[in-house]
Amino acid sequence: MEMTPKTEISDDALLRRMLAGDKNAFTDLYRRRHPAIYRFALHMSGNRAMAEDVTQEVFMALIREPQRYDATRGSLSAFLFGIARNHLRKRWEQERRLIPIAAEEDELDELTRSAAHANGNGHGTTVSFARDFESRDTVGLVRRAISTLPEGYREVVILCELEEMSYEEAAAALDCPVGTVRSRLHRGRAILLEKLRDTHSRPQPATGKRIGRSVL
Amino acid sequence: MNCSQFEEILHELDRPGTDGFAGRDAAFAHAESCDQCMQLLTQSEALDFAFRTISERTGREQAPPGTEAALLSEFRRRNAAASWVRRWQMAAVGIAAVLLLGLVARFHYRPSETANTTESAKPTAASKAAREDTGTAVPAPSVANGQQEVAGNQAPDPESATPFIALPYADDALNSEGATIVRVILSRPALASLGLPVTDIGTGDRIPADIVMSEDGAPQAIRLVAQSDMD
Repeated sequence: MEMTPKTEISDDALLRRMLAGDKNAFTDLYRRRHPAIYRFALHMSGNRAMAEDVTQEVFMALIREPQRYDATRGSLSAFLFGIARNHLRKRWEQERRLIPIAAEEDELDELTRSAAHANGNGHGTTVSFARDFESRDTVGLVRRAISTLPEGYREVVILCELEEMSYEEAAAALDCPVGTVRSRLHRGRAILLEKLRDTHSRPQPATGKRIGRSVL
Repeated sequence: MNCSQFEEILHELDRPGTDGFAGRDAAFAHAESCDQCMQLLTQSEALDFAFRTISERTGREQAPPGTEAALLSEFRRRNAAASWVRRWQMAAVGIAAVLLLGLVARFHYRPSETANTTESAKPTAASKAAREDTGTAVPAPSVANGQQEVAGNQAPDPESATPFIALPYADDALNSEGATIVRVILSRPALASLGLPVTDIGTGDRIPADIVMSEDGAPQAIRLVAQSDMD
């Protein structure tokens, strides 16, 4: 998560300037806050187009209905994450697909795909969990396993582990108690480990190309 | 520390400020003595490694520049509309302030005005009409129930006027109970800045205008009046 240096203008001050018509204030606010929103949407959906749409909708909402933000109820960042979560849910409802990972490889696989496909992993044999975990291939498996987590666990894992937020920051973003974040992270990680143990205890497809949805 | 406690804090051994971080030494000591927990620790560390790798690889991901451009375009569009509304609001407030001052001044100087009628202190059409209709110094006739146009049409002055134009955020000016019409004289540029049809109404720099005021003093509608003596 990007932390705002103390010397920088606060989000709320930028928002006030933006409401007074300052285009540069809006640009600053957008550039400061949109990457985390975009990555959150990208990790949640595994789909760049959806992440772009969600990011755009989040900031459109800020332009069109800024009065919905109440500084007494939480930070602007949390407000933006809240809008992003609502838009993601709407999109999934529209697509009637609760698990937003496609049957095909999703787009983040480009980033996590292994150069180690040819390094001996996935050759129809059960491989050592620990050894395989060290490969970049397993990074892709973990990313896919995250995508198949139930939404509540997935959000927490993405924010706390991939965006490196503290429990408090994640709780603010998700509008839930810190204890809920902690327990969901604990459970989410346990589910991930279970899934990966299952994966590694099964014979892999001979192509080594990808692990299908039924596996993860 | 037992295995259950170890599992409870395993996911936060590297997270400062948590119970797990505080108890990590005890957790590592327990793992040294328990094969099952050591295996769990190894797997958990491998999972952390995968998280860090994903985080590093996706850490620079951003929305494409087109998204920012689209948002800025929307921001400008919204801002332009809001700016127009703000101009109208400011103009309305300005007119209301002028009217209020006019009313106060009129009320304050009324006795001397009746005592010393001079050529330089010509009464306006509205005040003449008010005197003829009611015999008092009330500045304007009632416009309740849509009668303000009738009142305007029956005015005896040889003047023409535009139709009443509702001001932004005005209530139903035609049906305002207790509304009054007040005559003011405003500069042509000021009226033009409100978008009023000043080109249809003579050539003078100062143009009389009738303003419908609601009972609470808020301006509701305006019309421009052409007067030969003003031109």
